[in-house]
This record gives sequence, structure tokens and C-alpha cells, in this order.
Amino acid sequence: MSRLVVSNLSINRAELPVVTSVDLIAESGAISVVLGANGAGKTTLLEGLSGVIPVAGGTIAIDGRALQKARPGARSREGLAHVEQGRTVFRQLTTEENLRVSLHPGADIGEAYALFPELVQRRTVKASLLSGGEQQMLVIARALLTRPKVLLIDEMSAGLAPVIVTRLMTAVRKLADDGLAVVLVEQFAALALSIGNRAYVMRRGRVVYDGDCAKLRQSPGELHRLYLGGTETCRPDG
Amino acid sequence: MSGRTMRSGADLDRPFPDWEKMNALLTSAVAGLTAGGTYALLGVCAVFTYRLVAVVNFTGASIGAAVTFVLIALFEAGFPIWPSVLAGIAAGTLTGVAIGYIMTRWFGEASASTKAAVTVALLVGLIAVGLRLTGGQHPHNMPELFPGSAFRLAGVEVTIASVLTIGLAVLFTILSDLFLNRTKVGLNLRALADRPMAAELLGVRVQLLSLLVWGMTGAFTTFALMIIAPQRSPNFMTLSLLVVPALAAALIGLFRSFWWTLAGGIALGIVEGLASSIESVSQYRGAIPFLVVLAVLLWSQREARWDEAR
Ligand SMILES: Nc1ncnc2c1ncn2[C@@H]1O[C@H](COP(=O)(O)OP(=O)(O)OP(=O)(O)O)[C@@H](O)[C@H]1O
Ligand SMILES: [Mg+2]
Repeated sequence: MSRLVVSNLSINRAELPVVTSVDLIAESGAISVVLGANGAGKTTLLEGLSGVIPVAGGTIAIDGRALQKARPGARSREGLAHVEQGRTVFRQLTTEENLRVSLHPGADIGEAYALFPELVQRRTVKASLLSGGEQQMLVIARALLTRPKVLLIDEMSAGLAPVIVTRLMTAVRKLADDGLAVVLVEQFAALALSIGNRAYVMRRGRVVYDGDCAKLRQSPGELHRLYLGGTETCRPDG
Repeated sequence: MSGRTMRSGADLDRPFPDWEKMNALLTSAVAGLTAGGTYALLGVCAVFTYRLVAVVNFTGASIGAAVTFVLIALFEAGFPIWPSVLAGIAAGTLTGVAIGYIMTRWFGEASASTKAAVTVALLVGLIAVGLRLTGGQHPHNMPELFPGSAFRLAGVEVTIASVLTIGLAVLFTILSDLFLNRTKVGLNLRALADRPMAAELLGVRVQLLSLLVWGMTGAFTTFALMIIAPQRSPNFMTLSLLVVPALAAALIGLFRSFWWTLAGGIALGIVEGLASSIESVSQYRGAIPFLVVLAVLLWSQREARWDEAR
């Protein structure tokens, strides 16, 4: 059982606060969904968690081990994997080579193909030539081969056909069921809430809702209000 | 070449080439091979550095030059030659790693042009310090590591030094290909060159690998400079500026292809050798790399070749 605990996290961009005092938890077997309008700070939050950008304050810990000062590579070795926005496949490498880059000594490339059998026949194809859906599957599979405890996923469904989005969502749910802690940043709120456990809504760098996915799904009006603003914070659980 | 004499108009009309003249040209072409091999090796190292750590490195030759002068000093002080050479290669490797450290530690996030500018600044600094320490044009006694000729080609002596530099350039090209395409470290390097942050997020040891690249090119360029130094005027500035033809060769390979760079470097050396034997152009032969750079740049603009990745 693993647990990512983020507390009081603040991140600046170009000297301006973009993420402010965020608390967040992700646990083995559960999906923490992070929603919010464009520019709310979701990507910045994930980048701060994985070390792409430095944090200005607060703590990040997996199973009690503080990570906020570590380099991205060190965080990866501590069990944190980040599937970045924009399908960052290694374009010049084939599908299989992409997978081999991240292959942890204890992992098997077969695990990746078991999760996404679609990739098997694309093994020797250069990743830049894969379809958007295949590239997304590849970056998720690639992250898995590092044997992470916590998986951060940023907008995996952007620009993909609904049938593929559903396929990806099902796969991510399965990963959580197999014991991974997932932080899922999404624009497709309804779909994300349907597979998620815990929901966070961000607005202008702050968490304005922290609660149950199911509850939020049942009140679309509430979600709409959270997205567009209104009362500053709303924590039905706390 | 005292054998050359003025030709009368009737001579010029002769249908067969003038063998004496041809031979003189061949001699100068072959004489250009050593330089060509060095340009090729330095060029391939530049492409290696550019492809893997995305830096157009202007310091390659000057690192080699610095170490060569250390070698000269040791030699002049009476040290045995081969241990000095090994120490020199080790020093070249370390200097490469040190420059790599500066580049990755402080300029890792900088743009390609900023990185290139930093290496130019380092080059200017190295030349200034180097000239000061080595006494500028002061003649030095540089030992020839590989004196003598390897074989005769069409009646012309081919020196061991030229065979060796070309051989080293070919070896580096083949090893680079094998290393990048057949090993896990090479695979990680290609991933790193493609998307550094994605590689780092997957736990690839980005800094260590970058330093490895810098160290490898440092070692090879140092060795190349040691071989070529006796053939050139062993002056710190001249040796450091070998980076110009080297980058011209790299440009012929469009900073991508090892084999085109290799061929380009050798061709540059040969053309330079030929030019030195033709009186009317010989004084301008130093400009040849610049002309090549200009021609390749113009051609690549017309062609608008896009890296398919970007
Ligand atoms: N490199 C940057 N420099 C300065 N400001 C930035 C930078 N990147 C993002 N920002 C700002 O930070 C804020 C949050 O951006 P971020 O990308 O984290 O939002 P997001 O919630 O992921 O949005 P989206 O849903 O569009 O992906 C935005 O206001 C944006 O303008
Ligand atoms: Mg985003």
C-alpha cells in the first residue's frame, strides 16, 4: 500500500504564484481526479510533483519520504511516474525501444503489451508514426515499466476519439485496481468522475473542492459553479 | 615543386594530361589527407556531441590543443612519450567532462544558440589563456607520435599519421553507430537527445550520460590533436581554430550523419591540399572551410530540410 501526500504546495511560474497551498492525497487502489478550467494550474501542479519545475513551498511525500527537493530522476526511482501532457513519446525510437528505455530491471516488457495489446503489432514502428491513441497508450505503458507506486497522468484524452478515451479510462481504472495510486488530470469531467474515487477541483491555482467523485458527479450544477467561480472555497467533507 | 615549368600554348593543346603536373596534384591531395582525417574526426565528434547533448561545441579542438601543449611540456621536460600521451588523453577526457559539467549544470535549460555561444566564450577564454601560457608563436618541439609513411599510393607517400587519423575517424563513426544502436546506454542516449525531460522522468541518468558523451569526445579529439599537431605549426591558436573546418565537416553531414561528416572532413582536407599546390589560390586556402559552410547553408536554405522530428 502506497500513499502520496501533498501538503501546502505552492508553485510559481515566471515569479507569479500559479499553484497556491494545495493539499492532495493519492492512495493505492484509488484514482484522485483533478479537474479545473484551462489555466487553473493542473499541469503546473503535476510538474511540481514530478520535479519538472521546482516548488516554492510545501511538501511532497511518498510513504513518508520527502521528495520536494529531489531531481525528477530521483523521484522516478522513488516510485513516482509522470505521463506528461502532449504524448511525449521518443519520436525517433520505435515503440519497443520507447518501452526499453524505461524498463525497470524487475519489470517485463510483456506487461506493457498485456495492458495495451494494440501496441504489439506496432512494435517496430517509429513512435512519431503512431496514431494519437497509440502514442498515448505507449507513454502510459512506458511509465508503468518504471514500476511506479504513484502515476500522474495529464490530459490523456485530449484530441482522441471517444471510443479510445473510454478504452484508456478502462485501462487506468484497471491499473488502480491492481494497486497503483493514480492522479488523473482531465478535461472530460464526467468520464473521469465515473472512474475516479476522490475529486479535486482547481481554480486559479487553489483547490476549491475536495471530495467524493460520486457526489460531484450527481450534481452537475455544483461542478459548473466550481469551474466558473462563486464562493471562494467549498469543502463538503471538511 | 621545382619540376613545374611554364607551358607554352602548344603544350596546353595536348590531348593527354601532363603526368608531372598530375603527380604534383596527387601529392598535394594526399598531403591533405592527414588534415582531412583530423577534420573528419573532430567533425564526427561535433556531430556526436550535437546529436546527443544538443550543443554545437566550439571547444573540441582547443581542449585537444591545451592537452597537446601539456604533452609538449612533459616531453620537453624529458618524460617518456607514451605515458605522457596516456596522461594527455586522460586529461582531455577530464577537461571534456568539466566543460560538460558546466554545460549541463548551468546551461542545461538554455537554448541551442545560448549553449553554442557559451562554448564560443569558453573557446576565446581557452585561447587567451593558452597563448599566454605557451608563449604565442614561440616554437615548440612537438614529438611526432607516428613518424614515417605507411605505404605509397600511385607513387606518393601516404603518412602513418594520415592513415591513423582517418582510421580513427572511421573507427569513431562505426563505434558511435554500434554504441547508439546496439547498447542500452546508447538507447538511453538517443532517448535523452529526443526528449531530455521525458527521459529524466523515466529515471534515465541524464547528467551522468551527458558527461559520458563529453568525456568520450574529449578523449578522441585530444588524441586527434596530438597526432596532427606536428604537421601544423604547433601554435595554440592555429590548433584551436581547427574547430572551423571540423564544424564545416559537421555541417556537410547536416549535424546528423556521421558518414557524411566523415566524408566531408576528408574531402575538405584533400581540397585544401590541392589548393595549396595551385599558386593562384594557395594563399586563400584557409577560406575553403568558410566557403563550404556558406555553400552548405545556402543549399540547406533552398532545400528547406526539416528534421522530421521537430
Ligand atoms: N512556462 C510558463 N511561464 C509562465 N506562466 C506559465 C507557464 N506555463 C503556464 N503558465 C501559466 O500558469 C497557469 C496555469 O497553467 P497550467 O498549464 O498549469 O494550467 P492547466 O490547468 O494545466 O490548463 P489546461 O487545462 O489548459 O492544460 C496559466 O495561467 C498559465 O498562463
Ligand atoms: Mg494542462
